[in-house]
Amino acid sequence: MIEAVDPVVLQETALDVGEFKLVPALTVAVMLALFLGVGYFFRVAAVDELWVAGRSIGSIENGMAIGANWMSAASYLGVAALVATAGYFGLAYVVGWTTGYFILLIFMAAQFRRFGKYTAPDFVGDRFYSDWARGIAAFTTLAIAFTYAIGQASGMGLMAQYIFGISYEMGVILLMGVTIGYVALSGMLGTTKNMAIQYVILIVAFTLGLYATGWAEGWSTALPYLEAGPEFAEAASLEAQFIEPFEYAGYYGWIALAFSLIVGTCGLPHVLVRFYTVDNERTARWSTVWGLFFICLLYWGTAIYAVWGGLLYADGPGDGTFTDMAGVEADALVVLTTQLAGLPEWLVGLVAAGAVAAALATTAGLFISASSAAAHDIYTNLYKEDATQREQLIVGRGTILGIGVLVTLIGLNPPALIGELVAMSFAIAGTVFFPVFFLGLWWENTTKEGALAGMITGIVISFGAILNDTAIPMYTGVEDAVIPALATWLPGTSSALVGVPVVFAVIVVVSLLTDAPPRSVKRLVRQCHSPEPMQRTETAEDVATDGGSPTED
Amino acid sequence: MTDNTIHDSESDVETDGGVQTEAYLEEEINIFRPATPFMRDHLRVIWLAFFAWILVVFGPVTLALANPSLVTETTVLGGYPLHFFLTAIITPLGALLLSVGYAIQRDRLDDRYGIAHDEAAESESTVAADGGDR
Repeated sequence: MIEAVDPVVLQETALDVGEFKLVPALTVAVMLALFLGVGYFFRVAAVDELWVAGRSIGSIENGMAIGANWMSAASYLGVAALVATAGYFGLAYVVGWTTGYFILLIFMAAQFRRFGKYTAPDFVGDRFYSDWARGIAAFTTLAIAFTYAIGQASGMGLMAQYIFGISYEMGVILLMGVTIGYVALSGMLGTTKNMAIQYVILIVAFTLGLYATGWAEGWSTALPYLEAGPEFAEAASLEAQFIEPFEYAGYYGWIALAFSLIVGTCGLPHVLVRFYTVDNERTARWSTVWGLFFICLLYWGTAIYAVWGGLLYADGPGDGTFTDMAGVEADALVVLTTQLAGLPEWLVGLVAAGAVAAALATTAGLFISASSAAAHDIYTNLYKEDATQREQLIVGRGTILGIGVLVTLIGLNPPALIGELVAMSFAIAGTVFFPVFFLGLWWENTTKEGALAGMITGIVISFGAILNDTAIPMYTGVEDAVIPALATWLPGTSSALVGVPVVFAVIVVVSLLTDAPPRSVKRLVRQCHSPEPMQRTETAEDVATDGGSPTED
Repeated sequence: MTDNTIHDSESDVETDGGVQTEAYLEEEINIFRPATPFMRDHLRVIWLAFFAWILVVFGPVTLALANPSLVTETTVLGGYPLHFFLTAIITPLGALLLSVGYAIQRDRLDDRYGIAHDEAAESESTVAADGGDR
């Protein structure tokens, strides 16, 4: 299902690469300077501010941050690429990456806000009263950030090719360097401010490109989303497989992917941390709604980009077809569409700059969650209880640097399409985290042993699936998955459909067989669901331990 | 973890507008057996919304499985194949509208249970005075 993409070759793409373009380059430079400036202006020294922005963010601003945090290169570039090359199957990405927020909203957002800790591993460690659970969660957080960020690095490299006329490899190194620098400088408060700006830039760039293409080609006027019907018909007559529902993968594959992306949404540490940054749970709820709205604005456009880009590609370099375009061209399709539509260079450059903003914003969020997992959950809680804030900041920034360098290295030769890479991190998040989050919040008898057994099972399933059909084939040069039958039912991008029920079962069975959680933990869970308002700085722990057992650890 | 803020639970009960907080901390949390009126009401909203969501999300693709020729041959808005239009445009829109509906419904629940979010710390009198009714 996943074709290994060959190392990117500069010349063999339809995207106009190879020369330095002044106006697009200036756009990116100004944008990056703005981000760094904002990051510097809102720079922080206190740990509370570094990780949760002093819990001071309002719902629209947080919604924009959710949107920017969310919409990575995978959304901006990858989804259109997948719809264009995989047809209806690609829409599973659209569905998975939008509708998951609803599950997050109804089952988890407000409860997480009430729990009120710093990070996802923090939740796991405290809810399951176990440092081992915290450690495994921190490890998983790092793995997710790592896998996810590779896709972003790949997107940055592709865009840098167009904008700066440098090689893909140079582009990855240059833009990842900038990302690492600015995250380390600004921390979470700076990144939240930045994320709102980044959202505006990326949505304006994406939408302007879409509208301009529609105008230039005479395809649409006011609402391209509803006007692209005739082009769909044309694309269908050109490439029948484009609209065949299950040409690329069957019903099972479609559902498995959408499901994995949905539960992955609910398990992603860098998404959850956005609910810790708001001042109360009502804001947490409404910022989710706003976030989903901002996200939909982009996703509605992806299928349109796919079909327009497909037609333009077939008309030009594709010679009558488009679903067979090369991986690098597909991943650059959004930008390629505007270029093939003959739009001016500055506008094409703006669309490319929007992709850079998208990749950068998400990578920043990922690196923050990775650095807090390392500094807060591993270093401070597991290794050195009395670590000073200064030490934590050093460890956190060291992690950003370390993981950044690793991501850059793998990003030089990524093992799959951008969207697929990101889907893999969703499969990990969905399989490992979603069940422990969900049961941890909604079933107070979930025990430490249950959570540990469940997370380990989830790691085996999700990592195993990725090793089986992507990682091992990629690095051994073999074409096929190690166990092809397993890859059919348990693809690396979609392992959660099998993984989540299995992990749920493991957690429930083990929890029933082991001693119930301590009373203080049960009260903690109850506090997450109580209608009693909580103060801005309170966590469930502060409240629930009132009048409970007088001594706890 | 350090435990530095010990609140007086008695005063919490008086200022929260009539909701007995202590009782909530005594009742079991189990998604299938909501033990308090608030959780029962809340879960009713959640489950209803959840089933609507399943229909919105997995309905179009299941329709495409059940009747592939129908969805590919039926077109809307001048050429959109039906399944494409439903999945690419209507499904995300449906999830968005359901989210809005849920958030509004949850705000109503908050009103009914006298839950105030803005500055719960300072404006205790507001909380008590709103009577907990919409």
